Amino acid sequence: MSTLIIIDQSPYGSWEGREALDMAFSLAAFDQPVSLMFCGAGVNWLRQGQDAAEVEQKSVERNLAAAPIFGVDALLADRSACGQYGLTETDLPDHVSVTDFDRDLTGRFDHVAFAG
Amino acid sequence: MTTLKTLHILNKPPEHRRYVLCLDAIGPDDGLLLTENGVLAVSQALKVAGARCFVLAPDLDARGLAGQIGGNQRVSFDDMVELAASSASVISW
Repeated sequence: MSTLIIIDQSPYGSWEGREALDMAFSLAAFDQPVSLMFCGAGVNWLRQGQDAAEVEQKSVERNLAAAPIFGVDALLADRSACGQYGLTETDLPDHVSVTDFDRDLTGRFDHVAFAG
Repeated sequence: MTTLKTLHILNKPPEHRRYVLCLDAIGPDDGLLLTENGVLAVSQALKVAGARCFVLAPDLDARGLAGQIGGNQRVSFDDMVELAASSASVISW
């Protein structure tokens, strides 16, 4: 059974995104196929050069770097949201693929769950 | 109950961005299950209604909307589990 977890909330403003990340990592740790997608303001998770020391949080950029180690299948970024937030493919980490959020994409998963 | 291709579980009120995304994503063989604040949608015209629109009764009743369900289907927590289990896929919005 495959799962797609979608984060559509910006980082640092709330805990829902981190909880979704924990859920994805837990699934992957137990060998359940899982992918993560970033939509809407959620694409800001993917920005490089984040420094969250002064807001006393660990940077989500560093959290996300662990995704391939846990065995998360794919990290996906919504094309239109990237455009909206001025992110080009070269701005994104190497292991992130840009795609469109549509029925073709959601149809590839048994379960799709939004964060929060 | 009818077997659905995708069951869309929507717990967001009509003002929420995901409410619009969800309604746009519903295909011809899909069903919609309104839960939590999503049940507020029963007071509006829905793209999916009647036999393919399910409303979680405890959430509907809690909000005093029992009388506004129209032709949509009232479901219990047990029905919700059955719906999710019998659908080919589930999207939790």
